Order: sequence, then structure tokens, then C-alpha cells
Amino acid sequence: MRRFGAAQLLMLAPAQALLIAFIAIPSLYVFWLSFTESSYGTGTLFVGLANYEAIWQDDAFWRALVNTLLVINVIVYGELLISFLLAAVFVQGIPFRAVVLAIILMPYAISEVVAVAIWKFMLDPQIGSIARTLAALGLPDFDWATNPTQGLILVCLISIWLHLPFTFIIIYAAMLAVPKELYEAAKIDGASAAQRFRYVTLPGIAGAVLVALIFRYILSFRLFSEVWLLTAGGPARMTEVLAVYLYKQAFTYASFGMGAATGWIMVVVSGLVAALYVWLLHRQGFRKDA
Amino acid sequence: MREGLPMRLLRAATVLFVVLWSGAPVALMVLSSFKPTTEIFAYPPALIFAPTLEHYRTLFEKWPDFLGTLFNSAAVAILSTLVTVAASVLAGYVYSRYRGTAIGASALFMVAIRLLPPIVIILPLFPATSLLQLNDTWAILVMLYATFFVSIGSMILKAYIDGIPTELDDAARIDGAGEMQTLLRIIVPLAAPGMVAAAVFVFVYAWNEYLFAFVFTTTDAKTAPIVISEMMGSLTGVDWGALFAAATVQLVPVTLFVIALQRFLVAGLTAGSVKG
Repeated sequence: MRRFGAAQLLMLAPAQALLIAFIAIPSLYVFWLSFTESSYGTGTLFVGLANYEAIWQDDAFWRALVNTLLVINVIVYGELLISFLLAAVFVQGIPFRAVVLAIILMPYAISEVVAVAIWKFMLDPQIGSIARTLAALGLPDFDWATNPTQGLILVCLISIWLHLPFTFIIIYAAMLAVPKELYEAAKIDGASAAQRFRYVTLPGIAGAVLVALIFRYILSFRLFSEVWLLTAGGPARMTEVLAVYLYKQAFTYASFGMGAATGWIMVVVSGLVAALYVWLLHRQGFRKDA
Repeated sequence: MREGLPMRLLRAATVLFVVLWSGAPVALMVLSSFKPTTEIFAYPPALIFAPTLEHYRTLFEKWPDFLGTLFNSAAVAILSTLVTVAASVLAGYVYSRYRGTAIGASALFMVAIRLLPPIVIILPLFPATSLLQLNDTWAILVMLYATFFVSIGSMILKAYIDGIPTELDDAARIDGAGEMQTLLRIIVPLAAPGMVAAAVFVFVYAWNEYLFAFVFTTTDAKTAPIVISEMMGSLTGVDWGALFAAATVQLVPVTLFVIALQRFLVAGLTAGSVKG
């Protein structure tokens, strides 16, 4: 390990410059914007905490916050549960493994726009094959365009569909990495299959589960395109999530200040999640060293 | 290992379910793009039909800008991949081989800052890019895409370079190689799989990205996903055949790319997520 000099700082410069120019400075500017009133093309006026107060009193904000929390929990734990069950089946060996894995990975390559288009088509009450199958089975209509709850359910479905490959790969790779000898040893000691899962598999993949969980929490917190393209937050702003609320406040209702304040609320919440992430990783690292 | 029939059936059912779940929507879309319009809406969907290219013809007649936007998507994806991988190799090398307060602080900053939701920065960037006349250019998209993947890229490359014995760079140094020479001659060839892994991530993201492209482009630099979203929101009713044709053209190359490079993707995911 060597000490660094000017040359090394110069080598870090391109990456750091991008992050400073396109994330750090703009987000500091957003912080200032959140205390001002302005819209595109007009001057700015310092208004103190008025934007935060306006948001606090805005029902649409609270609905967006609640929707965001509900949706990301459904997405993250849904993905985790499915990945878990799949990985448990896959580690025992499956037929046509390479082909099956390639198909599971496919949604990773698909754009959010295309994913929304295909799910919209399959679930269109008039023309969709899934919707018509549900109707043929005598089930009630899946009315995602007018019923906010069902709209959000569809958002969750699309999001899980898109991101399952990510979570699955992390969990599956971790399960494959658990040393075989541990299972043999547990078997010799008379552990049942359930006990082997509980005392060998689970501790072996705990770190990966944690990483997948926090990664997906942070990424799904940004949820925008699926909602924007599917319902645009409607009907009557009932299906907005925070990113959509921010966008509409700033660009539809021309209130940059309220958009900026929403932005900083999002920054603080992601920051808390990030701090948890770093803290947990550190703790994990120390345990490994011990 | 011996196991009962119910267990094997359960396993087969799980595999079948996940293959249908992940694969059927894509297959339905690609197949439908070759179906005559009446067949697209047939229920249940037919697997056997007389294929037609009429939707591809409609696509290029009614949406003449689609080809140009595909070209923009390809250019932006390739350029942002190059920028990200270059910046990430440089940073990953320093993080792997050097220690010091400034290095540690820089790595922490890198990990922490990328946790910011991208939507937050569009507010100040939108007027700023108009002022600098960067709106609707490849440059703004390339910079933004590189920014959001340079952290994960650096962490993946640090993990790969950690696996290259330091004796190799020490030997090069004794032979009189400078820092850049060591990096280019010794590290880069050995870290190539890591560079490919980082490249897959950025490329797929840049090719498919919607939010930034939607906010920062209008005509000249418009990317393919934006045209597809416009086709979906068409006021005159959606032409599903043409929409599926566009989606197929957009998704087939990147899907083949991901499947061909899947081992790098898997390696990058495990390296980047466990150590990053």
C-alpha cells in the first residue's frame, strides 16, 4: 500500500468532477431553492420555511408519501420473497439451467417504458389477454385505470417484474457461495432439511440479503417512470409517489420552491437509509475481521 | 440425491412459473409485432399465425423520427459507457492501491452522494442547461448517465483490481514504468472483465433511461424510449402493432447483449454489491 500524491488525486478527478458538478452542486442549489419562491423564468424570492409549510398542509404530499412507503415495501419484500423461494429451488439444481437463467435475466434489459406498454396491453380490460382470462374465470375487473389501489398494485407488479433479476442474482449467488462442507457436517450431526436451512443457509446469505434489501430500498425510492407512464398520478392525484409529486409541483403547478422542498425531504430520507447502510456494512466488516 | 415425485413436480412448476413470468410478456410483444392487426387482439393469443411486416412499415412511415432516436440512444449509450469506464478505472485503481485520508474521504463521498434521487437534481439543472445551451444534446445525457454510474463502476473496478497482485505493478515500476504506463499496460488488461461488467451496467441503463431523456431532450437528442412513450400516449388511440414493432427493435439488441454478457453482469452484481 502506497501513499498518494498529486498524480493520484488527478486520477480521481474525472469521477469526482462528475459527481460534484452534476449531483453535489445542484443538490445544494436545490436546498437554497427550497427556501425561495420562483417558477421557471421568474425571479426568486426568499420565503423561509413557507414551502415546507405548504407541503405539510398539502394532502397530495401525504398521499404521495404514504403511497411511496407502501409501494416500496411491497416491491422490496415481494422481490426478496420470490428471489428467496426461487433461489432455494435453483441451488438444488434445475433442468436447462443456462436457458432458464437467461430468461429470468431478460427483464433486466427491458426499458421501463416498454415494460409499462406490455403490462398495460396485457391488462387492458377490453383487449388484454390477462384481463380477459380474469373475466372468463368470473373474477372482478382489474380496474387499474380508475381504481387508485389497483393502479398502485399494477405499479408494484411492473416494478417487481423489472427488478426481480437484480435481487434474484444477488440472493442466488450468495446461496451458491455457502460452502457445501457445512451442509455435509450439519447432515452428519443429524440436522433436518429445515434445520440446515435455518442454521446453515440463512446465516450464510444474511449479508447478501441485507445488501439487496438496502440497494433496492434506495433505488425503488426513486420510482417515477412506472407511475408517470401508467397513471401520471391520477385519478385525482391518488396514485402519486414522491418523485411524481415533486415533478408535478415544479413543472405542472410551476412551484419550483415546493418541488425543491420535496426534493430535500427525499434527500433526508434517502440519507437516513444510506447511513443505515454504511453502518450495517461497517458492523458486518468488523464481525468478519473478528 | 433421492427425492420424491411431489418434490420434483414442485420444482418443475416453480421453474415453469418463473420462465412464464419473466419471458411471456417479452415473447408476447415480439410475436405480436409480426401479427396482422386482427390477430394481435385475438383471444386467446395465437402462437401460430401468418407473419407480416406491416407494423414495421407503419412504424417507419408514421414515426419517421424513430430511426434517428435509435441512433441517438446508441450514441449516448456508447459514449456514456466510455466515459464511465474510463473514469472508473482511474478511480478504482487509486482506491485499490493507495491509502490516505483524502482517498478514504473521496470514496465515502462517492458512495454517499450517489444515493441522492436523480429527480432532485433536475430542478436546478433544467434552467442551468438551458442557459449553457446543453438542453437537447447528447452531451447532457452522457454526463448525467456517467455521473450516476461512476460510483458503482469505481467500486466494481476496485474489487477487480484488488484481485490483481501488487507484485505485478511493483515489478513494472522497478523496470521504470510510470503510473499511467503501469495502469495501461499491467492493470487494464487484467481488469478487463471488471471493465466489461461496469460497461454492461451503464450501457443498459443509458439505452433504456426515461426520466432524464424526458426532461432534457425535445427533438435533436431524443432517445428511442421517449418515442415509444409518445406512441403509448397517442391521442388518436394507440397503434399497438406499430408500438410493439418499435419496442421489439428497441429491446432485442440490448436483450441479446445482456444474455451474451450475463456472466459479467452476475460478477459485477456480486462484486459491486458485496464490496461496494
